[in-house]
Amino acid sequence: MKYLSEYRDGKIARGLADSVKRAATQRWVLMEVCGGQTHTIVKQGIDELLAGAVEMIHGPGCPVCVTPLEQIDRALAIASRPEVIFTSFGDMLRVPGSEMDLFQVRSRGGDVRVVYSPLDALELARRNPDKEIVFFAVGFETTAPANAMAVWRARELGIENFSVLVSHVTVPPAMVALLESPDNRVQGFLAAGHVCTVMGWTEYEPLARKYEVPIVVTGFEPVDILEGILMAVKQLEEGRHEVENQYVRSVKRDGNRPAQEVVSKVFEVVDRQWRGLGNIPSSGLGLREEFAAYDAEPKFGVHTITAEESEECHAGEVLRGILKPNQCPAFGTKCIPENPLGAPMVSSEGACAAYYNYGRFRTPSESGA
Amino acid sequence: MCLGIPGRIVEIRDDGGFPMGVVDFGGVKREVCLAYLAGEVGVGDYAIVHVGFAISKVDEEEAKRTFEVLREMSQLEELEWMQEVAEKSLNPPPPEAS
Amino acid sequence: MSAALLKERFLPHFSNPALAKLTDAAIVDVAAGRLAVSTDTFVVRPLEFPGGNIGSLAVHGTLNDIAVMGARPRYMSAGFVLEEGLEFEVLDRIIAAMAGAAEEAGVPIVAGDTKVVERGKADGVFINTTGIGELDPGFAPAPDLARPGDAVIVSGPIGRHGIAVMAVREGMEFEVEIESDAATLSPLVELLREHVGTGVHVLRDPTRGGLASALNEIAGTARVGVELVEDAMPIPGPVRAACEILGFDPLYVANEGIFVAMVEGGSVQNAVAALRTHPLGEEATVIGRVVEAHPGIVAMRTGIGGTRVVDMLPGDQLPRIC
Repeated sequence: MKYLSEYRDGKIARGLADSVKRAATQRWVLMEVCGGQTHTIVKQGIDELLAGAVEMIHGPGCPVCVTPLEQIDRALAIASRPEVIFTSFGDMLRVPGSEMDLFQVRSRGGDVRVVYSPLDALELARRNPDKEIVFFAVGFETTAPANAMAVWRARELGIENFSVLVSHVTVPPAMVALLESPDNRVQGFLAAGHVCTVMGWTEYEPLARKYEVPIVVTGFEPVDILEGILMAVKQLEEGRHEVENQYVRSVKRDGNRPAQEVVSKVFEVVDRQWRGLGNIPSSGLGLREEFAAYDAEPKFGVHTITAEESEECHAGEVLRGILKPNQCPAFGTKCIPENPLGAPMVSSEGACAAYYNYGRFRTPSESGA
Repeated sequence: MCLGIPGRIVEIRDDGGFPMGVVDFGGVKREVCLAYLAGEVGVGDYAIVHVGFAISKVDEEEAKRTFEVLREMSQLEELEWMQEVAEKSLNPPPPEAS
Repeated sequence: MSAALLKERFLPHFSNPALAKLTDAAIVDVAAGRLAVSTDTFVVRPLEFPGGNIGSLAVHGTLNDIAVMGARPRYMSAGFVLEEGLEFEVLDRIIAAMAGAAEEAGVPIVAGDTKVVERGKADGVFINTTGIGELDPGFAPAPDLARPGDAVIVSGPIGRHGIAVMAVREGMEFEVEIESDAATLSPLVELLREHVGTGVHVLRDPTRGGLASALNEIAGTARVGVELVEDAMPIPGPVRAACEILGFDPLYVANEGIFVAMVEGGSVQNAVAALRTHPLGEEATVIGRVVEAHPGIVAMRTGIGGTRVVDMLPGDQLPRIC
């Protein structure tokens, strides 16, 4: 596949890994923000290739993982209603709420369907006028333009049986929360390439300056990630802390303006709860007042539902990079993909699931801990 | 986040003012919303697609340029590595003193 | 209602001497020795997909379960639960596909049954097929026979069935140049029996859960390790592309027309050469080996030289956004 397969070239990847190992005069600690990048790193064994030169801490860049428990419970409540067709991206279906997950709601008779795009959900609303279609609008800034457009189109086309359950979060505030944390060990970041495709990278420039950390906007294939790591290591070795762009084929400094415009027309910045990280002010997106008719929370009266996180789940520490998944006492025993305690074990790009599926039989020392 | 895949735009159409298209991902074709790249892309261009929306046009020039650099670098790596190996075999390290 | 259905729609397609008698049970002849028996019920949605339908799938699926035991499939039965309101055209296509698949395999459907249930009580149609095959005492592959040193071979490209079905599911809908690979594999098994014989230790058809699940089950049963090579995996371009878009791993996608074999190291050349003489086995290839290390675990050398574990997935793969 063009512009994809080339970036999996083994020879180039190994060459880059060697360059990283030779450039690093000490062991640097980097964080890749995005779940898709975590997925590639663990699946391809990149952290294994770089052991000794770089330690990768897996960041909270998995919107599925950070969706707060109460949002899941609200989704379950809505999906259980007989008049509702509840639509969602696939990875949300297995995320456990306080009592069950969407899969179980389906097996109890709820109409829960996986869609690839929010426009598919809108189409379902068109085809089923006697049903209420609700779409679980989860994601980072990458997905916000798509979700915003679905709501915008619904209003344009006068579709009233469509609403969204919003759980959008944004990256920079989470990075700030991490950088402000007293136990932060991260010295440089790989910023999320597709978030930045939409948003550009201007928001990261003040962060690089203030916290003196290199931030490299990076893609998702092995060659991208290794090149991004190399660029970050070079900055650290040279004492620089700038924003650089590795993912040149997709990202421009200003990002995608039309997309940003539609997002700001439909959404506004709100405070959001991050599972495992707590409340981060101004870190989320919520529907603007004028689109209230498309907000599933008041429509179905679920906005009062709250929930308490499990005590045994250390998702927070894993997401903050303090614990490696295989250092969590519940990992592989009480908490396994078939029976997850928290979201990072459920979602396939959650750090815990990635470790379990791809790296389980490596010892903690081999995996760079 | 997030699964964004590059594909080639093979069809563009106007859905009552709403720009839609068909993208070919190397043997798989899908309907894609082109609203966010309207005016920027034509048939034959490559775009990154996420959940049914095209979010960026692939900068083929940049991609080619940087990829060439990477490829050269990896060949250079191999040359340097070969040099290192050659040197090591010509000048083996002295046996460890016991 | 059922008797009429039987006479008008099913009999004309499935005609064979045993069935035509319409007695309470069919009487058939089998060779002396042991029999392999397998039954499976098919509830696939959607009913029709590129390359086949629930009917052809019901034939191939059960016959393959027999074939990978090393047995020669001889007879089948088919039971139908039809949902009231199922269109006759759809039913006719399903029956025709079944008959075609059975005929190609040389396996008559000697017994059958149909029932009709109320709307909403069956997803269009449920089909159960049972197959009987004759075992050759000298050829009995089994999962616990895997041995370190065995080569792991796959008889054809992976991922076609699962992607073909996904492409026509509501909410997904993408155009893909892929058809289900559903096919009866007994001719390939025959070739292995003839050219490799007892050197074939394990045979398995990687259906639901894909290659990864099948290999994990074998590794677990035999307490051996498996090492795969990512670059050796035969994955058709469109399957790769569809997997990229949905965030699927081709190793976990269902197949209905290939098997994975573990063959004694010394016989691997013969095995691959033999398979490649048949259209179904044209792309047979070695994808890895059985090892003593990490028993029960399947590992893969990635394209960039790292290693990853290929684990069991708890459920079906779900399309992801991350």
